[in-house]
Amino acid sequence: MASAGIEKVRDWILGRHPERTELAEDVRLLDSRLVDSLSFVELVYVIEDASGAEIDFDSIDLEDFQTVAAIERAFFARGES
Amino acid sequence: MTLRPGRIGIDVVPLSRVHGLIVDGDGAALHRLLSAAELSVSRTPDGLDPSGIAGRLAAKEAVFKLFHAAGQPVPWLATEILKSAGGWPEVRLSGRAARLAELAGIERIDISITHDEAYAIAVAVSAAHIAEL
Repeated sequence: MASAGIEKVRDWILGRHPERTELAEDVRLLDSRLVDSLSFVELVYVIEDASGAEIDFDSIDLEDFQTVAAIERAFFARGES
Repeated sequence: MTLRPGRIGIDVVPLSRVHGLIVDGDGAALHRLLSAAELSVSRTPDGLDPSGIAGRLAAKEAVFKLFHAAGQPVPWLATEILKSAGGWPEVRLSGRAARLAELAGIERIDISITHDEAYAIAVAVSAAHIAEL
């Protein structure tokens, strides 16, 4: 079951794209430009807010942000067994 | 030493995006896009200037395109778009942006910014010296 945090991130992305009603976890967010370079900065802020993590912008691996599943693995799966 | 022409980068930013950044939340995203010096020169007596900010953001992206750097985000704060003594926009690179420029063999970057109604557009051109044999 998805965490409340990743659902907050998914809702934020969907909120920017009213033409979409759902967002599968494997959709390539950056390649498809659902998140562009400007909104990427906001996405990082949303993830930090939802996860409590602090993200160093200069050491970011974009693969951690390419899909909802990747974001969940990188920022919302800590401590789970 | 002679300068050889280099790469070109271009970008456009709708002013509507900047309005969103200014009004959303506490403006936290804006502080990750613009340095304190850039925010300072983007202020007018009426508040932040959306046209000036859109132009700066477009210029930062245009400069980033010169680097041909895949797999990493725009180094927003390390690519500052400020004003020269003559009022022309000029680029100041630091940190990761300066390293990317060095890796790309770029020694000089010139930019031009224009605004009209709902959009700001920026062009960046790089140059480097030709080594004399």
